[in-house]
This record gives sequence, structure tokens and C-alpha cells, in this order.
Amino acid sequence: MNINVVIIGHVDHGKSTLIGRLLYDSDSIMEGRVEEIQKLAEEYKRRFEFAYFIDSFDDELKEERTIDTTGVMFKGKNLYVVTDVPGHKEFIKNMLTGASHSDVAVLVVAAEEGIQEQTGRHAFLIHMLGIKQVFVVVNKMDAVDYSEEVFNDIKSQVSQLLDNLGYQAIEYIAGSAMEGDNIYKPSENMPWYHGPTLIQALDGIEIFHEVKPLRFAVQDTYQVNSDKVVVGRVESGSLNKGVEVVFQPSAIRGRIEKILAYEGELDKAETGDSIGVVISGGEPERGDVFGLVTNPPTSSQEFLGEVVLLGDELREGETVELRCGTKRVQCHIKDIREKLNSETGEVISKHPDHISEHEAATILLNTEPIVVEKFSDIPELGRFVLVRSKNIGAGIVLEK
Amino acid sequence: MPELKELENKSLYIIREAYAEFKNPAVLWSTGKDSTATLWLCHKAFFGKIPFPVIHIDTGYKFKEMYEFRDSLAKEWGFNLMVAQNKEAIAEGVGPESGKFECCTRLKTQALMQFLEQEKLDALFLAIRRDEHGIRAKERYFSPRDEDFKWNYKDQPLEMWDQYQSITEDKTHTRVHPILDWRELDVWEYVQQENLPVHPMYYARNGKRYRSLGCEPCTFPIDSDASTIDEIVEEIRVSKIAERSGRAQDKEKAFTMQKLRALGYM
Repeated sequence: MNINVVIIGHVDHGKSTLIGRLLYDSDSIMEGRVEEIQKLAEEYKRRFEFAYFIDSFDDELKEERTIDTTGVMFKGKNLYVVTDVPGHKEFIKNMLTGASHSDVAVLVVAAEEGIQEQTGRHAFLIHMLGIKQVFVVVNKMDAVDYSEEVFNDIKSQVSQLLDNLGYQAIEYIAGSAMEGDNIYKPSENMPWYHGPTLIQALDGIEIFHEVKPLRFAVQDTYQVNSDKVVVGRVESGSLNKGVEVVFQPSAIRGRIEKILAYEGELDKAETGDSIGVVISGGEPERGDVFGLVTNPPTSSQEFLGEVVLLGDELREGETVELRCGTKRVQCHIKDIREKLNSETGEVISKHPDHISEHEAATILLNTEPIVVEKFSDIPELGRFVLVRSKNIGAGIVLEK
Repeated sequence: MPELKELENKSLYIIREAYAEFKNPAVLWSTGKDSTATLWLCHKAFFGKIPFPVIHIDTGYKFKEMYEFRDSLAKEWGFNLMVAQNKEAIAEGVGPESGKFECCTRLKTQALMQFLEQEKLDALFLAIRRDEHGIRAKERYFSPRDEDFKWNYKDQPLEMWDQYQSITEDKTHTRVHPILDWRELDVWEYVQQENLPVHPMYYARNGKRYRSLGCEPCTFPIDSDASTIDEIVEEIRVSKIAERSGRAQDKEKAFTMQKLRALGYM
């Protein structure tokens, strides 16, 4: 099984170090890389750091902080694609880029500092992204003399924070990435700790795929020999040859005459498949979504979203572009209902006239016709980005 | 879903997104295994006919076996092959002895730059992978370059889920990376599964083979007896040596790769 894991937490709480430690202890470092990093550390007159396995930009090493997200892979019981994200507020957009591709999260909290600004914000954001499986590593236990009391104290603080956001961690792990305690190898420094190591916890993950209705997002139409082939991806559910489907917002109804891959015709396609279909009865366009006539997608023009803003301010009354699936539409910011504290999820104010960078809000959006789904029903079509000359925000659909 | 199928599905999705979003894309082909696999993914995405040009940058320092391989595959798969070359730099005598940074920049990056301008291309499919190099691990699937070809790696776009940023302004272009998530092993397993032809230099001869192919003066073979695809797959599965360890430009100085890439290198 392939599992995408994102490592989150406040700056300097040891995210990159933890990944470096995982790679090192699992024997995933390429030959010569350790020597290369030792040389680099000497060049910068610093001690050897596990984070140097991950941070690659000149500036990242000079400034000793992660700027952009990185994906690395290593093998345990599963194949893990581990995503490192920056812990600085100014790099939240890079954190979200990395986190949006993940199935599970590891929240790193330094024992000697406890909850800090980005601890809360990262926890809030991954919750919004729908990442339900969270592991907490109380890191740098070596800096607090491996104290059980400190661990318990931080555990209760973090569980309070997550509780307020509406979820729970699966496991709290007492560890030290720097010293290698309970990350890949069990520690002998904390006899009072009886929980798993991080790798044991990750190896125990199960990912459940719920059965969802068929949704297919149209990317394009190609002429292949005598066929008009509608290409796209099965976003959810599965598709069988011969079924009757409805496309929205174009309102075309048709029958799936053929399911096509390069290799030839198929009888069936599953979630995630990039395929082509030939239909009878009309020509859908890019941005359309189809589903079975018995459980069809519907076209919306107004829905409630939860949005986090990464660009300059967003004002009530303004129009931006919204992209969901393969569809782009004009989107009017109709009513900013509640501004949320992106560190705690609490409501800060009602009906503000704008939100600023790094702020979150629930917003009533008015758009041209588009298929969206409630994020809790079909996440693949329940998430969107806002565009104003570049991608400036991201959101999920709460109600439609 | 088997892993390769999942990787292929995502690559096809990315290729079709880029084709729908950009007016004038092209795919870069070095004749190496990664870009040959990418070419094959493009071939499959459009059901057997790549609808945009395939560009090969010829530095004049390529292995001679390359030309035969290149031209025969172009014929077999029926794509539109175009060759880009910085003739001015070649006439000036730029080469590996001018320094690796200078050589790569003038003969590869600038050759590509001239070609892009001439053909007014707004998107380029590139076969880079995260696991090749720490700098490439930081890339986006859709990665913008400004009119001077520069990669603003300190301020990369927000790229959540599969919402790639595809704004095109005059004279800028976007690098599209369909196999960014693939590992070296995945590529070889894909070559095996799809029965793809590969450059002859990858096969061992007299106890040596090339694991990564660049220009002849700056690429060195590794010790290996792997002379079939099956043997190469097995070798990579257990190898602990970095793939690009035989590539001089990565190693000359720390951050040479970052500097090359910031200026538009692949």
C-alpha cells in the first residue's frame, strides 16, 4: 500500500529532522549522501543535521529553515511518500500544497515549547483538508530529560486543541528525532512510555475507501478515428459500459457506448482511472461532470464554502474565478458569514467586509452553473481553489 | 489498484490537463528512459498520436548511438520530432572545457530558450522526478518560468489537489511534470511492463552501463552486468547508489543544480 504522510507543526519543532531520521534509520539514504552532508555542515560550520537530507535549497540551509514542501519516499510495511512542509506562517501556501496530497498527518510538537502558532494553524488546516488520521509526536524529549510529566502535559494541551477543532489524534508518541528515540527504533530512555514508535504507528494505518456514487470529470474531447472520445477521470464510484448517464451543467443525457483506454475497449472503470468514453446523445464539454441517471450530479449556482486565503485580501462583493474539478467559473463573493481564527477554528467576527491573507472564513458564493458536491459526501468534487491572476485561496463545500 | 496503474492514471490526467489549458505545448525528449516513458504516456493519452511537437536538444556532445535510436523511434511512433540547437554557442566552441555551468547553460538552457521563442511555445512537458535530486523534489506539477526563463523557487504557486496553476502571460512558459511522483524503479518497471524501447547505452557492456544519460563528456558509466530490462529492474530494486552519481553537473559544487535550474535548466 502507498500512503502519503504529511509532517506538520510549528517552525523548529523538528519536522525535517524527523523525516531525516526516518530515512536514516530505515536505511533509505543513498550511498555517499551522509559524507556529502558532513562536508556541507563543515562548510557552514555547523553540526551534522538530519534535516540536511531534506532541505535542498541554498537558502534553506543558510537560514536553517524549510521554505518549500518536499516529497521523499521510504519503505516500511507500506511505501510511504512523506511530505515535509515549512513551519513558517509566510510559507503556508507551500504547506497547503504539500498537505493537500496526503492521507494522514503527523503533528510534531516540541516538548520544551508546547503548542505554538503554527501548531494550531496546521492542525486547523489539515482538518479542513479532510485528513482524519493524525498522529502526534511530542518531539525533543531529550531536551526535557525525557520527563513523563512534560509529555502528559503536552498531550493534554494538544488533545484540547484537536478536540476544539472537532477531532482526535490516533496516537501520542514521546520521541526525539535528533537522538532517534521512538521514531524508527524503540527508545531505552523512556521506560515509562509503552506506546508505539512512529513507524509502528504508521505501519498500523488502514485506509478505508467508502463506496461513493459515480462522478466523472470531463477534461476534453478528442477525435479518435471515427469516435468522439470524451476524456477525463473517474473521480468517485465506478463505471460500467452501457449505463445511462447525465452530464451537468450541460444537461446532456446519454448512454456509455464505449469505455476506452489506449490498449482498447474496457467493460468497466474504477475510481482514479483516466479514460475515455464514447457516448450517444450530445457533446459534453470540459468542466462537465457526469453520473448515473439514478444518482446524477446537480448543477449549483450558490453554495456555502469554508475558505482559507493565501493571497491579498478578499472583499465581499468582488468577483474571482473558482475552479472545481476541471471546471472554471466566475464566482461572486456574496456574503462573508463568519471569519474564523485559523489557529483554533473559533469564530472571530460575523459578516466582516473582507478577509486578509492567512485568514479563514465561511463564505456564501454565487457562481455560474457548476457541479460541486458537499465535501463530506464526495471530497474530490467538494474542494475548490480561488484564482485572481494566480491561485489565491482554497476551500471546501460545506452546504449546497 | 496496482501502483504503476495509479501513477500512469495521474500522469495521463496531468498531460490532458496541460493540453486543454495551454495553446502551444511541446514535450522535451532527451532519448533517456524518463523522457521516453513520458513520450509513451503522451502517446497513450491521445490514443496513439502525439498532437504536439517532440523537441530534442542536441548539444553536439551526445552519444552517437543516440541519433539512430532517436530517429528510429520517431518513425515508429510517428511523432513530429524537432531538434533544437544553440548554433551560435557551438560555433564559438562552447564545450565541457568552458566549465560545466557555462556548457549546460549555453548548450541546453539557451538552446531551449531560443527554440521556445521561435516556436512560441507556452508549455513544456518535462520528465523530471522528485527522487532524482533534492531540488527537483521541490517542484510543482505545473511550474511557471518567467520571460527570462527564471524559476522563482522562493515563491512557487499554490497547487492543491489537482488544481494546477495555468495562467499564461506573454513570453512566459510553464513546465509541466507528468512523472514527478515516479521513482527510478517505477520507470524501469514501466519500461518492462509496456515493453518500451530504451537507449542502448543503458545495457551493460563489458561490466559497465549508464544509469543516467547526459552528454558524453559529463556522464560516466557504473559497474554493472545488467544487460536486459529484467536485470536492470532487479539492480535498481536493491541499489543504494544515487541515480545521478554519474552526472558531473550535479556534483561540481554544492548548489550547482539549484543555480542551473534557477536559470531555466531542466
